[in-house]
Amino acid sequence: MVFKAKRRTVVTTAAGVFVLLVAALVVTVFTQGKGNASDGNMVAYPVGQRPAAPDFTATSLTGTPINFASYRGKIVVLNIWGSWCGPCRGEGQTLKYLDEEYGPQGIAFLGDDIQDTPANALSFLRGEGITYPSVNDANGAVEERLAIAVPVNGAPTTLVIDKTGHIAGMIDGPATYPDVTTLLKDAAVTQ
Amino acid sequence: MTDVRSPTPKAASTSEGADLDREATRPFGTGPVEPAESGSGVASGPTPTGAGWGRWTWRQLTSMRTALILLFLLALGSVPGSILPQQGSDPASVTQYFTSHPGLAPWLNRLGLFNVFAAPWFAAIYILLFASLVGCVVPRTFKLVGSARTPPPRAPRNLARLPQSVTYPSALSPDTAVDAAASVLGGQRFRLRRPAAGDAGHWLAAEKGYLREVGNLLFHLSLLGVLLSIALGGLFGYKADELVVEGQTFSDSTAQLAEFHPGRLVSGSDLAHFSLKLDKFTADYINSGASIGQPSGFNANVSYTDAPGGATKTYDIQVNHPLSVDSVKVYLIGHGYAPQFTVRGPNGVAYQEATPFIPANTNTMLSDGVVKAPSASLGFEGVFVPTAYMANGTTLESIFPAANNPEVSLIGYSGNLGLNSGEAQSVYQLDTSQMTEISGGPHLMTPGSTWKLPGKLGSITYDGTSQWVSLDITYDPGQIPALVCGILAIAGLLLSFFVRRRRVFVRAVPGPDGVGSVVTVGGLTRTDASGGFEDEFANLAADIADASSPSSPPSSPTAGPAASDDHQKPEPNNQSETGA
Repeated sequence: MVFKAKRRTVVTTAAGVFVLLVAALVVTVFTQGKGNASDGNMVAYPVGQRPAAPDFTATSLTGTPINFASYRGKIVVLNIWGSWCGPCRGEGQTLKYLDEEYGPQGIAFLGDDIQDTPANALSFLRGEGITYPSVNDANGAVEERLAIAVPVNGAPTTLVIDKTGHIAGMIDGPATYPDVTTLLKDAAVTQ
Repeated sequence: MTDVRSPTPKAASTSEGADLDREATRPFGTGPVEPAESGSGVASGPTPTGAGWGRWTWRQLTSMRTALILLFLLALGSVPGSILPQQGSDPASVTQYFTSHPGLAPWLNRLGLFNVFAAPWFAAIYILLFASLVGCVVPRTFKLVGSARTPPPRAPRNLARLPQSVTYPSALSPDTAVDAAASVLGGQRFRLRRPAAGDAGHWLAAEKGYLREVGNLLFHLSLLGVLLSIALGGLFGYKADELVVEGQTFSDSTAQLAEFHPGRLVSGSDLAHFSLKLDKFTADYINSGASIGQPSGFNANVSYTDAPGGATKTYDIQVNHPLSVDSVKVYLIGHGYAPQFTVRGPNGVAYQEATPFIPANTNTMLSDGVVKAPSASLGFEGVFVPTAYMANGTTLESIFPAANNPEVSLIGYSGNLGLNSGEAQSVYQLDTSQMTEISGGPHLMTPGSTWKLPGKLGSITYDGTSQWVSLDITYDPGQIPALVCGILAIAGLLLSFFVRRRRVFVRAVPGPDGVGSVVTVGGLTRTDASGGFEDEFANLAADIADASSPSSPPSSPTAGPAASDDHQKPEPNNQSETGA
C-alpha cells in the first residue's frame, strides 16, 4: 500500500512535469513565431486602404514655418530621425542620394528630427550635405500624430505619402534605396 | 480553495430509520445523491484511450497537488529574477555581468535567466497554474451554486439521535404543532421543507446559513475575477520608462520611450496620446544631523496635455503620488543630473545639449556620462560631482547629493565614434576603439568654463547643470478589477468562515392518550468552533414550544430521549457532534 502511494505520487509528478514541458515547448514556439519586427521592415498599404497622414504645422530646424498641408499634391518622403541615433546617421547618405535623384522630379523630402537639439541636428546635416528641411520635433508632437495613423516604433522610420495625403507605405528601420523606390512607385498610383 | 464538505456522518445507524438519518446528516451543501469526487488529485490510472488520457491529464492538472507544485515552481522560478540582473529593469548590469562572467553568462542567457519573467518556461508555469486554478474553480463554482440551492433534507425518524434535541408535549394536534414550528422557523429566515403530498408523518425540516455557500461562491468567483483581471492587464496593459531632462517634452509614443513593454495585444497605436514636459525638478536633502544627505522630498513639476493639441495642465509628481492621465499612471522612479555642454569643432557648434549622467553613487549622486559630438569627431567620458571635494588634493569626490558646488571631470577622445556606421549605440557609452585620447585629461571643469582642446580639435564648454527624472508609465486595465475582486474574495472568505450551516428538524406524533401531541425538535450544525449553536438551538426550541402551546406557557417540555416521559424543564440533549 505504501509502495502504491509512492508510485502514484511519482506518476503524478512525472505527468505534471511532462505537461509542463509540453506547455513550455508550445509557448516557446509561440513566442519565437511572433518575433520582433526586423530592421528595414517595409509595409506597403494598398490603394483604398491607405491611412490619411495628419496635417501639422511646425518649424524647421532653422526656424522656418512648415505647414504640411502645403505638401498636398506632391509625393512626400517623410523621415523620422535623430542625430543621436546610429541607424539614422547610417541612412543619411541614402536619403541624400534619393533626394538628389527624385527631388528634381517633384518628390519632396522632409525630415522629422525627434528628441534632439537643433545644434546637434544641423551639425549632422551639414556634415552629410543633406539639404532638405527637417521639422524641429524635439518634443515629439509631430511624431505622435504620425504614430496615431501608422505604428511608428522608433527612429528611424520613413513614410512615403502619396499626392492625396495618404500614407502609401512605411519603412520601420533604416531606409534602403530599393525599399524607398518601391514605395515611390506605389505612391504614384493614387486612390 | 475552501471545502463545503463535511466528514462522512457516523450518527446514522442501521436502524429502521437509517435511511432518513443518513439523509438528515448528509454533508451540508450537497444534494441527496453525491456525485463521485473528481479532481481530487488521487485519480485512478487512465483508461487506455485518447479520451481517457485526456481526462486523466485534466484531472492531474486541476488537482490541488499540481496547483501547489506549480505555485512552488513559480516561486522557485522567480528567485533568479531577484538574484541576477534583469534585462528589462537593469540592462546595464546585464552587460556588466556578461563582461565579468564571460563563460557563465551566455549559458544563463540561453536559459532566459536574464529575462526571467518573459522566459517561455516561466510563462509555461503560470499558464499551467492559471489553467489549473480555472479548472479547479469553475467546477467548484457550479457545485457551490447547486449546494446553495439544495433544499433541507427530510427530517430523520429519530431526532433524539441528533447532537441537539428536545422533546415536549403540546396541546396542539401534530399537524398544527408542526405548523406553529414552521411559522417560528420561517420567521427566523430558515429555509423550510414539509412532507410531500402522500408522505406519512408530521415533520418539518429547516436549514439556515446559506450565506456560507454564498460566501464560498463569492470567494471562488472573485478568485476567477482576480485571474481574469491579471490576464486583462497582461494582454491590454503596458509599461514604459522614459528619462526627461528639465525643459524637455516627450510624447507617449513608442518612438520616444526609452523602454516599452507592451501587453500581448498592445501595439504602438494603442498608447495614450498624452505629452508631458518636465518644467522643474526639486530634490530636498537633510542638511545636518546623523541623516545628513538623506533625501527628504522629490517634486517633479510637469505640464501635460491629454491629447495632441489639448489644453495644457500642470501637476506635481512626487514619490507614490503619480500623475493620472488618460487612464495611465506616471510614476517618479528616479532622478539625476544633466550637465549642459557645448562642443565646438572646426566647423562650429557640433553639440549642444543637457546630457543625462547616470548616478554611480545614489548617496552622493556622483554620476557618470558621455558626450558624443560625432560631427566634430569628438567624444568625452565624464564624471559629475554635485558637491565637489578634492580628497588628498588628487581624488575628486562628492560630499553631498545637492548641486552646491558642481564640477565635471572629462577625458576627451578624438576620432571615429562609430555612430555613422548605422549600428545602434547606447547614448550612455562611448566606443573609443577607433579614437585617440586627447592629452590634458582628466580635465576638471566648473560651470561656465571652457576646455580648449589641443591641435585645433575644438573646445567644450560646461554651460550649467539641469536635472532629469526617470518616469515609469503604467497602464494596467486589470488593476481596479483585481482590487475589487480581491476585496470581494476576502469578504466571501469571511462569510464562509463565520456563517455556519445549521439544520433544525421538528417531528410531531399524537400524544399518548390521543390528545395533543409530542413534539421533538432536533438540530445539528456542521462546524461550531466559535460556539453559539447550543444557545441558538435552546432559544429556538423554547420559541417553538411557546408557539405550540398558545394558551399557556410551555408546560415543562421534556428533554432528551431518556427523559421524554418526565414532566421536567426541557434540557437540550447536548451530544457531541459526530456526523456533521
